[in-house]
Amino acid sequence: MGEMEVLKTDKKRLLTFLNKLKANYELIAPVKTDLVRFQKINDINEIYLEKNSYFPVKEYFFKKEETLFSFKGNKIEAPKLETPKRVFFGIRRCDLNGIHHQDKAFELVKDPYYKAARENSFLIGYHCNTAPSPYCFCGSLELVDFYDLMVYDRKDHFLIEIGSKKGEALVKKYKRYFSASDKVITKEEKVIPGADRLDKKDISKFYDNPDWEKGVSQCLSCGACTALCPTCYCFDIKDEVKAKNPKEGERKRSWSSCQVPEFTKVAGDHVFREKREERFKHRIYHQLEYFKEKNGVNLCVGCGRCIQGCPTRIDFVDILNKMEDGKTTANK
Amino acid sequence: MEKQLLINNPYIPKPYKILEFNRETNDNFTLKINMQVNHDPGQFVQVSIPGIGEAPISICSDSRNYIKLNIKEVGNMTTALSRLKKGDTILIRGPYGHGYPMKELKGNSLILIGGGCGVSPLKGVIDYVKNNRKDYKDVILFMGYRNPDDIIFKQDLDQWKKDYNLQVTVDKNPQGQFCYDGEEGFITEALKKANLSNQNKVVLLCGPPIMMKSSIDILKQKGFHDDQIFISAERLMYCALGVCCHCMIRGQFTCLDGPVFRYDKIKDFKND
Repeated sequence: MGEMEVLKTDKKRLLTFLNKLKANYELIAPVKTDLVRFQKINDINEIYLEKNSYFPVKEYFFKKEETLFSFKGNKIEAPKLETPKRVFFGIRRCDLNGIHHQDKAFELVKDPYYKAARENSFLIGYHCNTAPSPYCFCGSLELVDFYDLMVYDRKDHFLIEIGSKKGEALVKKYKRYFSASDKVITKEEKVIPGADRLDKKDISKFYDNPDWEKGVSQCLSCGACTALCPTCYCFDIKDEVKAKNPKEGERKRSWSSCQVPEFTKVAGDHVFREKREERFKHRIYHQLEYFKEKNGVNLCVGCGRCIQGCPTRIDFVDILNKMEDGKTTANK
Repeated sequence: MEKQLLINNPYIPKPYKILEFNRETNDNFTLKINMQVNHDPGQFVQVSIPGIGEAPISICSDSRNYIKLNIKEVGNMTTALSRLKKGDTILIRGPYGHGYPMKELKGNSLILIGGGCGVSPLKGVIDYVKNNRKDYKDVILFMGYRNPDDIIFKQDLDQWKKDYNLQVTVDKNPQGQFCYDGEEGFITEALKKANLSNQNKVVLLCGPPIMMKSSIDILKQKGFHDDQIFISAERLMYCALGVCCHCMIRGQFTCLDGPVFRYDKIKDFKND
């Protein structure tokens, strides 16, 4: 899409619009409970937009655990996948990019489970006027426009940017809640101020830098970083059988983590990435280099959750920023 | 919708019949399966036993009428596979990955170096060469095993000895048991002694990491270049499609970009 159409509305009309959506779709938006998380909305006033959600929205599409098929001996039955019509509201720019990148990863293998979960969903973004967390660094990365609608909070009014044909159809259907506007959201306006703390864009020459170890010596290999990451998409596949009949059961996939040693353990108990440093580095390179080599875009979206949610607050952005050129552990 | 998911679903294996079960050693066996599929030597399939799991196994044959899988009993899955019999059904999906680029290698002499069950994917190459003999010059086989009892494809050794230049070694031969050629010592020592030039030769290598590393060191001393060597990598795999990420070596997926890599493309990768 070239220049995107922009509409205008006010708080009252926006809430009424969301209420209408709620009547016709499953509406999922950030709610403040113990933490901020995406939940199905029962009352429109539950929606909380002060901070970004602690958990990304990925679990709605790439499920924590799902059944690939069930089996009775060698007889296989695929599950029936039904996704309700859903509207996601209040997704930040970083997390929208997270969905975009995961779409790419799962599209490559034509993953039917992910595809089914992504169907029938509208994505309505909520633009951050300021960085919602001190760990944010989306401004250091090249994010793309990926949403059906994007809401810009201008204090006394809201601007609604149309990002897709689906988004256009949706606002047309509910046109009474919007007014025309000749405003254009510029590229500069889409950059979130103060969220550009990652200095190094090209990390290829730092692979053998000894400072990785320094930063990672506190890693507990807990996998919180990968679970909280909006883009991390690795998984395990395991068979679960019924206690009564071990020939009957389900093959399931579930979130995994490249931060645990078992991630690369092969028969004979050999672990390829045995050191924490190797595992930590692998994730950062996948996020900032490997994915880009294959897909043309960084996997990392700069949400900062892996730093915020780390029990020992390992800050890979800080580690990278402080890394000096030319230091190496390579003994070639 | 339900039907569709079953048909175009890359995670769902299909049933095949086991045509033969052939025991090679105490802990190694070969299955012949009625899977009719185009494949390259070095490619692999995902073999399932529902309730136990799935394992990637390389194809060790070269036919469009069947595939053979040589399997060493090392874990739950391979032990469960060892209990299968002729006539049983087996669930398979694949084949996957990039095998040895046999067409590109036409006109060369081939040096095949296998260690232990690393000989299995090379057996696929040997069968391929047999079916396309005029495309390749000399064929030199090095096969190393721990002891005489571990030697696989024993019934083929006489024929290979006639057709090719074959060398089999065992690390140890404690009771002086039967052993082809009777050579004792690491395969890498046999490789070191061999009079090899790198002229119009390519090396196809598969075995334990330490054996592959030593072999590459020796080959380089003999003047071989990194791009004359092809290795087969082993990694933990679940999806075999390039999405679960377990088999990633730096930016490469072993299941998709490998398992066979030209050595110059991954030589900087250590155990990562």
